Amino acid sequence: MNTASAESLQRYQDSLARLRPQLTGTEQPWLMNQRRGAVESLARLGVPQRRQESWRYTSLERLLGQGFVPAAGTIAPQDSDLESLLLPKLDTWRLVFVNGRFAPNHSDLDGLPPGVMATSLLQSIGSNPIVASRWLGRAAGAPEHAFSALNTAAIQDGLLIHLPRGLQLERPIEVLYLTSAPGCATVVHPRALVLLEAGARATLIERFAGHDHSLYFNNALTEIFLEDGAELEHQQLQQESPAAFHLHSLFVNQNGRSRYQNTGFILGGTWSRNEIRVDFLGTEARADLQGLYVTGEQQLSDVHLDIRHTHPGCTSRADYRGLLHGKGRAVFDGRIIVNPDAHKSDAHLHNANLLLSRNAEVDTKPQLEIYADDVKCSHGASVGQLDPAQLYYLRSRGIDAAQARHMLCLGFAGEILERCRIEPLRETVRTAVAARLAQPMETAGRVQS
Amino acid sequence: MLNIEGLQVSADGKTILTGIDLKVNAGEVHAIMGPNGSGKSTLAHILAGRDGYTVDAGSVRFEGQDLLTLPAEERARRGLFLAMQYPVELPGVNSMVFLKAALNAVRSARGEAVLDAVHFMQLVRNKLELVQMDAEFLKRNVNEGFSGGEKKRNEILQMALLEPKLAILDETDSGLDIDALRVVADGVNALRSPERAMLVVTHYQRLLDYIRPDHVHVLAGGRIVRSGDRTLALELEEKGYGWLEQEVAA
Repeated sequence: MNTASAESLQRYQDSLARLRPQLTGTEQPWLMNQRRGAVESLARLGVPQRRQESWRYTSLERLLGQGFVPAAGTIAPQDSDLESLLLPKLDTWRLVFVNGRFAPNHSDLDGLPPGVMATSLLQSIGSNPIVASRWLGRAAGAPEHAFSALNTAAIQDGLLIHLPRGLQLERPIEVLYLTSAPGCATVVHPRALVLLEAGARATLIERFAGHDHSLYFNNALTEIFLEDGAELEHQQLQQESPAAFHLHSLFVNQNGRSRYQNTGFILGGTWSRNEIRVDFLGTEARADLQGLYVTGEQQLSDVHLDIRHTHPGCTSRADYRGLLHGKGRAVFDGRIIVNPDAHKSDAHLHNANLLLSRNAEVDTKPQLEIYADDVKCSHGASVGQLDPAQLYYLRSRGIDAAQARHMLCLGFAGEILERCRIEPLRETVRTAVAARLAQPMETAGRVQS
Repeated sequence: MLNIEGLQVSADGKTILTGIDLKVNAGEVHAIMGPNGSGKSTLAHILAGRDGYTVDAGSVRFEGQDLLTLPAEERARRGLFLAMQYPVELPGVNSMVFLKAALNAVRSARGEAVLDAVHFMQLVRNKLELVQMDAEFLKRNVNEGFSGGEKKRNEILQMALLEPKLAILDETDSGLDIDALRVVADGVNALRSPERAMLVVTHYQRLLDYIRPDHVHVLAGGRIVRSGDRTLALELEEKGYGWLEQEVAA
């Protein structure tokens, strides 16, 4: 390990040491064991290195150069700050987390059906730790990098959802993670655990946001367990502050005939890494992962998908699209592994990118590793620019060049947007994408004409 | 309305138009005929403003204005419309959003009020009838997955909405069966008016049975080799283009 890496690791360890006195649940041996194991993993793993394949295209200098301190206490956001960050015209059960801590005043869980838990992980560890003690860490397994280890070492608060067998929630659960660090650069480690028992069904909308322009590191880790035939529709909207670092590691375990649908909209932050790992633990399960990233000046979006077909007859679809402008950077690293026993697997992986400026850059690496016969698999990637014939068509109808570019970009994004079935969310994202594109489009127009 | 003088055009160093002279007045329908590769489509696109051509000589004036220096969108706003031979698909771009943006861009340029959704829908419904299209089509993405006939009808729909002063139809008959051809031609004929001029580019005489031109020009080797009335088109139908090309070469 070089000096810079060693210093960086030391800073994270110091940050953890400062957090430790705040951590509750010290009387729970299972929790202390997990935290202790993670501290050891952190020391063993060290901070990620560019020579490691999964970090090869991801610039780490800015993240590792920062000295983040744990968020001290909770800040109280104004209702007006929250209003713009919650979905309008949608009836949901809502949980708000501020700097990783549950904010019950801003949450609304009235009328949850009996037997359903949608609550703060911290509260559940204190009052009824059965679900947490049994499931936490099971999907994530041993940490693969320092940030997962850090999250587990710092397990404190976060989201816990538990649906009993056969229960179908008729309203979505909307979760807002609001982070704010007006004083100094802080790090938060929100943890989420979602368990749907056999045949249960739910919709989960998660939004990560910063309402000021503060600098922070949101190091989130989520574990999802879908038992036989359970179905989860999971929508994620990343709108962190423009100065923020965001890392979300998501682990999904799917039993037989379960359905998991994930749509990720990655719009904010200066550095953003989304890792999704799906393990099929039974036959005939299906996972649909789609996403859209928009990156501009000083922005990186880094997406890693890892889908493991270990049982026969499972289906996976992954479709990610990127719009890059200015000096925007993106990495797409998608991998599907089909084990020897996983015959009748059906897996498709695709990544398409539109580069809107000469300085934008993307590294895309879709991979298929197939060790079984009798499978239907495909993968592909494309990197291109706006089609001059399409631009000409629009302009020949009186639409000016800037608006034409804007319409085509939104059209490209629309292929992902249209698959989001929650209309208020779709419109919110469409508006956000349009706003993100408005400025660079004008710049592009000046450069080209 | 349109005045083309001595127009010479090349692309990628290859000369395509070797000297076109053409005058089109309001209310007139001109047909441009010619064999493949004669430069018909190039002429249509150079008028509409596609990039990639070099004008080596000559001028094009549209209502007295120099057309060639204007960007494509400005030409459309001033009343020029090209119904394309191969309309491109625009994945993810909703037809209604597209039509409304185009119409309002042109209306603004004409100093007319921008239409809201309600008034736009009223207008577009009328125009849909003209080309016998269902309103369901507005929900689809522009030209995406459209059949050949649907694409051509969509072109005429746009023309009907934008109400251009000069409409250029580039091989509008290609790929159409006889029923679709009739629908498209009826749509075009409904738009004929004393204020509007049309330039109908076609390889075959067939379309001209439905859209009767006042003048017919034959383009060969990048220039107009013969002009006449409708009987010229019938003569070409009978004899083919060969005799004209030979005559010109001689």
